[in-house]
Amino acid sequence: MEHESVPLYWRNIPAYYRLVARRCKRCGEVYFPPVLKCPRCGSNELEDVELPQEGELVEFTVLRSVPTDFLKQKPVILGLVKLGPAKVLGQIVDAAPEKLKEGQRVEVAFRRVVVDGKYGLVMYGYKFRPRP
Amino acid sequence: MIDVWINGAAMMQTGRHYSLNIDEMGAKVLEEALKDAGYPDLDAIFVASATAEQADKQQMLGAYIAARLGLDKVATFRVENADGSGGSALVLAASAVRSGLYNCVAVVGVDKPNDVLSNQQQDIYSTATDSVYERFFGVTPAAQAAIMAKLYLKKYEYKYEDLALWPVLMHKNGASNPYAYMRKQAKVEDVLDSELVSDPLRLYDVGPMADGAAAAVLCNRKGAVRILGMGSATSSTPFNARQDYDVLYSAKEAAERAYKMAGITARDVAAAEVHDSYSIFGVLAAEALGLAQRGQLLALLKSGADLNVNLSGGLKSRGNVMGATGVYQAVEVAWQLLGKSPFKKADGNIGVIHSMGGADKISTVVVLGL
Repeated sequence: MEHESVPLYWRNIPAYYRLVARRCKRCGEVYFPPVLKCPRCGSNELEDVELPQEGELVEFTVLRSVPTDFLKQKPVILGLVKLGPAKVLGQIVDAAPEKLKEGQRVEVAFRRVVVDGKYGLVMYGYKFRPRP
Repeated sequence: MIDVWINGAAMMQTGRHYSLNIDEMGAKVLEEALKDAGYPDLDAIFVASATAEQADKQQMLGAYIAARLGLDKVATFRVENADGSGGSALVLAASAVRSGLYNCVAVVGVDKPNDVLSNQQQDIYSTATDSVYERFFGVTPAAQAAIMAKLYLKKYEYKYEDLALWPVLMHKNGASNPYAYMRKQAKVEDVLDSELVSDPLRLYDVGPMADGAAAAVLCNRKGAVRILGMGSATSSTPFNARQDYDVLYSAKEAAERAYKMAGITARDVAAAEVHDSYSIFGVLAAEALGLAQRGQLLALLKSGADLNVNLSGGLKSRGNVMGATGVYQAVEVAWQLLGKSPFKKADGNIGVIHSMGGADKISTVVVLGL
């Protein structure tokens, strides 16, 4: 959508650039998106932790009916990826859908996600690509 | 506790209402529902809308709907829970009567997604996903439904052709509903030949966005249909962190609460309208309501079982009227229980509606009875 909020993007850069999740210090569960209180054990003691850069593809779909910002990229492959202790939903790039399969090794790729019109921000974030 | 009755109801045909503003559509059905209820003194209006701000640039919709009918001084409230707004508004409206705060209130569900282009509809619908962690990356409810469909079909060893039976049934039901958007029968081949939207989901698996408005007048005065039970629940686990993708947790919890309050079981249900924004959600919702065992609804459909689900045609055929959907469902189920045209009388006295926002984010189940 045009005119995305600048502060909204900037404050989420740790997650977008480095996949910063949150780990419960008491029970060890890892949450992405980060939580403020551990849903499993109720602890308020949590710490930031970066998810690993490699993982495996759990499931994916090829989305052909896309929001305005993604019209130039369509179709978009969206996949569930298991990155160590957490799963993440994100775009799969540099891949032919017919060659993708469940359990496939993938790695984080730092990419441009949205170009907000002529005068807005160019926003970056994580995507995933098959491991060579 | 005070009993809450539906005293009047109205809905308009869904579709593309290019000549009507959103407040005019709301006012139109509200006037009809008030007339149906014998023009009681109205204390409050609860407006359910998912797209009013984004598609029609309007906040405080209740006040403008009231203005169109000269309903001066009435209390107005707006309820937003994405495409599950309708069910949520029903619960709040009925609670206000049940508590004794108000004697008579109206629920008005209205949305006009066709005031914007189809990619802009996706912009709006994607705000029902997590805006920072999902929408930002291009995720829409369709993509989430698609992943759930893939995992469901895989887990229970169904073929896509089996899932295609849902839209076929919806089109069969909706063909005889004059309020519906897509009033034509469809064959399995039509579904299989339709374009892919998000594999495995095809065009026929997706409820088409439609403009629509429906209203119900709820009072503490005896009417034709009573609200027997209500349940609302969220499923707060993020989509990416779910354990299972073959169950609607929010719907299951909401149904348990509503059935318990009404003192019924799934076996008592003679009419049901469920939120099939995507065919897989219709299947999962019917299972969550206990109308089939987990993983078994498609097997039931394959065996040719008679299902009293979505006689309106559901979101697939009646249309996805977004925040208005839950209110449509309440009117549809009430009329099915009463045998009011265009519906034939249900074979029983109990009906349920399931209203859902996003991909199993929030659900509301309301039990209606004669």
